[in-house]
Amino acid sequence: MSEKSNRARINGKTGENIKSWLIMLPGLLLMTFFVWEPLFESIRMSLYKTRNVELVRFIGLDNFVSVVGKDDFLQALVNTFTYTFWSLLIGFGLPILLALIIGETRRGKGFFRTAAYLPNMLPGLAVIILWSAFFSGEKSGVLNILLSKLGVPTQSYLTNYHLVIPIIIVIATWKGAGATALIYMAGMSSINAELYEAAAIDGATVWQRILHILLPAIRKLAGTLLILQIISVFQIMYEPMVLTKGGPDNASLSLMQLMWQYAFGGAMNYGKASAVAVIVTLILLAMTAVYSYFNRRESDWE
Amino acid sequence: MNKLCKTISLVLALCFLLASLPLAAGAEEVIDENLTCTITLGNWPADTAPDAEKALFEGYKATMAKQYPNVTLVPDYYSYTLSNYVPMAKGGTAPSIFQPPFTDPQLLISQHLVGDVTDALEAYGVLDKFSPSYVEMLADENGRIYGLPRDGYVLGMHINIELFRQAGLVDEAGLPIYPKTLQEMAEYGQIIKEKTGKAGLVFPASETYGGWLFTNIAWNFGCVGENALEYQDEDGRWVCNFTSPQCIAAMEFMRDLKWKYDILNADATTTDWAGAHSLLGTGEAAMNFAADDSVDQPTANKGLPVQDFALIPFPAGDAGRYALAGGTCYMFAPDITAEQGIALMAYLRIIGKLPFLDDAIIAGMRADYAAKRDRGAPVIPAISAWNDEAYNAAKQAIVDEYSNVDMRLYADFFDSLSEGTITLKSEEPVFAQQLYRELTAVIQRMITREGADVEKALKKAEESFQEYLDDEINDY
Repeated sequence: MSEKSNRARINGKTGENIKSWLIMLPGLLLMTFFVWEPLFESIRMSLYKTRNVELVRFIGLDNFVSVVGKDDFLQALVNTFTYTFWSLLIGFGLPILLALIIGETRRGKGFFRTAAYLPNMLPGLAVIILWSAFFSGEKSGVLNILLSKLGVPTQSYLTNYHLVIPIIIVIATWKGAGATALIYMAGMSSINAELYEAAAIDGATVWQRILHILLPAIRKLAGTLLILQIISVFQIMYEPMVLTKGGPDNASLSLMQLMWQYAFGGAMNYGKASAVAVIVTLILLAMTAVYSYFNRRESDWE
Repeated sequence: MNKLCKTISLVLALCFLLASLPLAAGAEEVIDENLTCTITLGNWPADTAPDAEKALFEGYKATMAKQYPNVTLVPDYYSYTLSNYVPMAKGGTAPSIFQPPFTDPQLLISQHLVGDVTDALEAYGVLDKFSPSYVEMLADENGRIYGLPRDGYVLGMHINIELFRQAGLVDEAGLPIYPKTLQEMAEYGQIIKEKTGKAGLVFPASETYGGWLFTNIAWNFGCVGENALEYQDEDGRWVCNFTSPQCIAAMEFMRDLKWKYDILNADATTTDWAGAHSLLGTGEAAMNFAADDSVDQPTANKGLPVQDFALIPFPAGDAGRYALAGGTCYMFAPDITAEQGIALMAYLRIIGKLPFLDDAIIAGMRADYAAKRDRGAPVIPAISAWNDEAYNAAKQAIVDEYSNVDMRLYADFFDSLSEGTITLKSEEPVFAQQLYRELTAVIQRMITREGADVEKALKKAEESFQEYLDDEINDY
């Protein structure tokens, strides 16, 4: 191949590259302005003493030391992991189960699909207010009224520090499970029907079909949704903020809510708020890295 | 019903219009045509606001245009919160005037986020008419003024008389036998809980509300002067003091309200200010620590008839009788010019927020009280933030004209103010919101864990708030 044709090929490639970059440019600019700049600004702010949004002086890791050294941080960290634990316990299997049941339904599948998704269409705050009436500890609370029919005396739920996180997770799951179930349904629908037929000919039971065909087929999807769920629950904020205000006695305080408190809860300390945000980001990055590592190893084995 | 609502709305709109007409008519002459500037006015009624309210503000705008033809008014729907204000102030987009609560001025002043209007106030001759406690709240350490009181309130207690009646706590005249002391409040609350099954006291112990109310209880237990919850030492350093015997006693009392007397509402830790009013108004609780400026909440908003509602003074403690005096104020963007300062004072005079009287302002008050009466809110005298006798007397005369309540149900509250049997206090001087947050956490621990250690919890809160004070003021 002559030098001339080589150069022409390189020029052609460069031209294509420039076009590609030009196509990406608006997106990159928006990402830079709305995502990366605030992200780096937040990291920078976490290293400064601040007066509202002004950077007063560089203080290194002092904000981190101060934030981590307080009881409410430890409490919020433990709570956030507790939220994640309960979310996985209550909310991880439920969408799969929902998807399975709806998938196996012979009649009215569209109705059940819509019904499962419906809570997700309700505004988040409306859902919280709805459930706060359900779990109200007053005599007029819906759950208390129902339980009183069974002779159970009036109970307080949202002021019980053992119950408050599971209750919030039940509410979040009620709202979000239907949407996740739809994703699983889409995953399940892509499984080759011949596999089921072959299994049926071999005399496999429903349970065996689920165990040996369906679950392996959706395993990767479940893995992705698992990490997304952990990331999402780790950032839980408005549910405890509206329902319990982080109480009682910080029992439902999440890391994101702690960040909000530093910034807007009266302290107006954006430096410390940024420090909490950076810590949350680091934890999530670490968890994602662990997931990616195992995922890659699994792919290598395959 | 719809027809009735429409008719009432029309009548109200007419009242407001009539109120604004003389204002415009009586102020035909130009006051200053050399004053040239633009001012943006926060809290302008939204498009969804009642027509009457919108008409009223349009009337103000028209008057301003006549009196100051070269001042441009820019309406802004902005409603203040600390979190939304800071970026606006820093970005130079804050409205020229906005309305924060009295908890925030000192923070905004210390952070240089508000404008100085001392010279403009002096030019209007109202500087010396401020109630001194309000001046203290709205000035910096050099005495420069950054805000004006919009309205004031004093914390007392709202009473649901029907529950008192059911519990047998009424005299021969049918008036409630109400608690004069905090101890009586606990005991009466217990009687009410036993007789009616409803909460004796609703205590909103969420976010910062619990700490906010608790400071009042603490003052009555003696957390004032040298035992104050926060004070400046000889070196000028701010010191947090939650572990004084007085504060510990007050918190133990708080704990007893739950575990000894059991008079609190079930969901105290999730109840906020609005929720507390709702519980009192709907008959789920008999007593609520609340002020004179929110008497419409349980009544007009939640349906409690005005004859079943009373406002009483804050119950006394062993160390005295103190109550919080606060309210909402007007503050100004940090970058306002001298001309804008003068124009803003002119606007405040026109809307009747400076202590000047004219027919238009009186008509406005009339319309306001008529509207209150029509929607079932108690028409009672407002606590004035101005030391101006003529102004205050005129307001009282109008109240008497529109009164819809038995003033015996309010007499002790107002008498305690005029006779000085209650000592008014402003909020804790520095970083009150953060202080409330720390104390609320302690209260939540006390009322959700029966065996919680009061002293230990207060010690932890003290350390945390001291670190905050060191960080924000002492070592700044």
